[in-house]
Amino acid sequence: MTSPGLNEDKVALSPLIKRRIDTLHADKMAINDQKMKLIGPLDLDDWGFVHFPDFTFEAPPEALRDDGIICGYIPIGLTMRAFMNAMPKYINKNSALGGAWIKPITDFAPIRMAPEDFPDELQPVWDKYHTFPGFGGMNHCAGDITIGLTLGWGGLLDKIRYYRAFNSPEDTSFYDGEELVVLGMQEYIAELAVEARRLAAEEKNPNDKENLNEIARINEWLVDNPPRTLREACQFIAHFQTLDRTYYVGGALDQLDEALRPYYERDAAEGILLDDEAVWYVASVFFNDTHYSQIGGLIPDGSRDMTSRMSFIILDAMHALKIPINIALRVSDKVNETLLRRSLEYTMEDGTGVDYSLNIGCEQGFSRNGYPLGLARKRAKVGCNWTAIPGIEYPLQDVTRCNLGFAFYHALQDVRVGERSLDYLYERLQFHTKAIVDSIKAGYDRHYEVVGRNTPEVVYNLFMHGPVERGLNCSEGGVDVLSFNIDGVALATVADSFAAIEQRIVKEQRITWDELFEVLDKNYEGHEDIRLMLANIKRFGSPDSAAEKWALKVRDHFVWCCKHEGTPKHNLPIIPGMFSHGTLIELGSRLPATPNGRKNYEPISHSNEPDPGFARGVDTFSPSLKATAVAHAQPGYGNSAPLHLDIDTDMLAKHGGMDALIALIHTHNHMGGTLINLNCLTEKILLEAHEDPSIHPDLIVRVTGYSAFFASLSKDYRQQIIDRFLSKRAG
Amino acid sequence: MQATIFDIQRFSVYDGPGARTAVFFKGCNLRCRWCHNPESIATQPALEYTPERCIGCGRCIVACPERAHAIDGEGRHVLDRDRCVACLACVDTCFAEALTGVGQAMTPDELVAAVLTDAPYYARSGGGVTLTGGDCLLQPEFVREVLTQLKAEDVHTAVDTAGNVPWEWIEPLLPLIDLFLYDLKAVDPAVHEAWTGVSNERILDNLHRLIEQECRVWVRVPLIPGCNDAEMPAIARFLAPLAVERVEIMPYHKLAQGKYAALGMEHTGPICAIPTDSEIAATLRLFTNNRLPAYAS
Repeated sequence: MTSPGLNEDKVALSPLIKRRIDTLHADKMAINDQKMKLIGPLDLDDWGFVHFPDFTFEAPPEALRDDGIICGYIPIGLTMRAFMNAMPKYINKNSALGGAWIKPITDFAPIRMAPEDFPDELQPVWDKYHTFPGFGGMNHCAGDITIGLTLGWGGLLDKIRYYRAFNSPEDTSFYDGEELVVLGMQEYIAELAVEARRLAAEEKNPNDKENLNEIARINEWLVDNPPRTLREACQFIAHFQTLDRTYYVGGALDQLDEALRPYYERDAAEGILLDDEAVWYVASVFFNDTHYSQIGGLIPDGSRDMTSRMSFIILDAMHALKIPINIALRVSDKVNETLLRRSLEYTMEDGTGVDYSLNIGCEQGFSRNGYPLGLARKRAKVGCNWTAIPGIEYPLQDVTRCNLGFAFYHALQDVRVGERSLDYLYERLQFHTKAIVDSIKAGYDRHYEVVGRNTPEVVYNLFMHGPVERGLNCSEGGVDVLSFNIDGVALATVADSFAAIEQRIVKEQRITWDELFEVLDKNYEGHEDIRLMLANIKRFGSPDSAAEKWALKVRDHFVWCCKHEGTPKHNLPIIPGMFSHGTLIELGSRLPATPNGRKNYEPISHSNEPDPGFARGVDTFSPSLKATAVAHAQPGYGNSAPLHLDIDTDMLAKHGGMDALIALIHTHNHMGGTLINLNCLTEKILLEAHEDPSIHPDLIVRVTGYSAFFASLSKDYRQQIIDRFLSKRAG
Repeated sequence: MQATIFDIQRFSVYDGPGARTAVFFKGCNLRCRWCHNPESIATQPALEYTPERCIGCGRCIVACPERAHAIDGEGRHVLDRDRCVACLACVDTCFAEALTGVGQAMTPDELVAAVLTDAPYYARSGGGVTLTGGDCLLQPEFVREVLTQLKAEDVHTAVDTAGNVPWEWIEPLLPLIDLFLYDLKAVDPAVHEAWTGVSNERILDNLHRLIEQECRVWVRVPLIPGCNDAEMPAIARFLAPLAVERVEIMPYHKLAQGKYAALGMEHTGPICAIPTDSEIAATLRLFTNNRLPAYAS
């Protein structure tokens, strides 16, 4: 759909603004090059920090416990305030905004969970199954940035003080800690303004001098006051990003187009803003950091898509800056088709595209947890795969991994000493899957009890509806919606293993159970033919395959384990997801060989996706085969299980190619998919960049839900992307 | 009733409008010397051998009733194509997939069930199913049954054909086919015969008849430098008065040469240069100057 009257034109940049943004791009490349040399590969999103190798910091002695750690509101508040004061005040004269974060505070100060609050009794279970328990997980929630934009830092401070007095709790440490964080931020901003004035005084170029003075004026205002203009709002957001990243590497932003739209419209109406200036301001936010944000999507009543001129400006800012940026475009049947098409054009041009958060699977799925559909529509894609209702929900997505590969491994060991049958194998898989899920649930109970007093969300608490009003950390009742996530991983590894046993041992009787155990114990050494026999079946993703039936069966049981009851002590609600992030290497690193032909310690399969190279016989690989499999195997309660598509640019360039891809996006939505991460690549460039990353330093790829410079990834990560891309031709 | 299918390519954007499922039939009665789908020529399944995948397990030697497989003195697998009757008994034992069967016998019901898994994508994209090959029209009864079932499901249908079949085979199918992708390699009968092994009178006649019947037709013209490139002006002139919906120029590529080796077929055709962008553009202009909507594929 298109919106009548909406200006959907691309923004023409003035020479000055184009030069500024181009220079920011070059500076970003130089910063990354320095980081690569000094730190090494970063298998994560761009994380826009500026590296200061000589920076040192010592936490205030009064913040430290006797055992040398820092935990709790006031010690963390003290440390944060000191850190924000100590941080170098970075200003780039080509940016519209000041400030940058420099690295997580936890790299400099021992902020962590107190050992006495750790659930030691659960650790053996987590070790047995190589589980990522999620206990102590941080930052996987999202603030409502409009709270900050409305109040400003001064207003946030006033709010903390007001509610401290109004509630008069016996223990005021929540408020005292939050107050210290805000004070630290105000002091940081004030110093930044001083630095901008100093740089302006030294600057010879009149344009740059004026820009630096403007940065100073904006920051002087923002110390105490809320933003009034789009540029001030962008500066506020950049500061939020700096603070959020510094504390536990938070990365969630919000519905960015709607957050900025009032400022844009007001400035435009007053005649003080041109569109290319707006592009520059937003590009400067992205230069500051690559927080996850969303554009487009339905308003809560579902009656219209909220795409605005601001959505197009954000897209153009992304495209102009040409660095990895984590924006999701929310797709529904009412999506603005021009915005959708342009996002694909930009992805095709240089990889700086968005990913696609799909409304049906996300919204209707989330409403199955008992929440109204209108509330579900407020969930925004604010993490690499995950969604949250900004300011209202504490979802802790993407912090757990229920390693179904290990559930299968232990089930197979039970079969070895018990009944040799598929039924028994599945029965034992059910047992071990439940054991893992139950252990994560028990860990969540403890998390709920203790994380607030150890490592509270001192940043997000400020930007959520409830924590300050109630004096409670968002994890323990500060917000209304607690929805603890558990991610199941290695679905294809397990499903293909079941199918291989069913076909080769049970039906065809080509090998026996004993032979299977023998070759697994030997890691297939000397038995490559058997390994290939097991690997080369119709795997998950092939139409009408036994493996797909196993995948759905295993998925169903995992979902049941999550959903049939809450956590054992507090009955906290659980939402199942299936997302592995980039952890498939690590999660396979302890898993012995599996009957799908996977050797010892090789990576597990990705999220709920088929393994690369799954297609067989007459059914050659196609994006729709993969998309259909991922849609069928969704966990179904609104948390994303992403589809990664590496599309050959040649296909998109073909007449009608983009229309077909748009159709695929919509169809995946209607089939219940939740998220599409899209790469448009050519084989030649990808292989060249893998061989020598320096040849294509600008190549941007979508690793999973986040984008990264290909050259910044480690060789293992680059290989994952190569395998994924080339496997479509391997069949 | 069965047909031998060697590929089901889903989400194809190269075989008609929208996202389509292209079904490749084995069997062709042309012998284009540049053929890029040599596996499509014979009607029966074929054995494809990819030596670099072989792990030397020797299972094929045991499985083969014709003793076509052996291990030579240096431990390398050797396939004797003269002995091989393409029974494909070895394929079932070759887990390394060095030996694979090209072609799978399918009934109309099986084929329709397979392609309909992508039906949701057709609806959104304006796509559908394209029967191609080889030449699917060499099996008109099978095609009629498949198309009848697809139309019952309201699926858009296209047939890609070289048109070298009796009109009586095509005519009954017309109500079932929404779009013809019609291959045209040359207008001059002698040139056509020299490069494809058959004359083109029937092909041109069938094309005229399709136009007379007001069928939707996209003409597909391979551009093979040194073979039929001199025919392009004549093809453009020939098509100019016809109500074809579009013309697709299909530039030569060299991707097929490995296929010939894997199938044990000798590649006797010319090794042509790949057309440059400017050559493709010039060819397109020939057609557009004749008011034909032409695109490069």
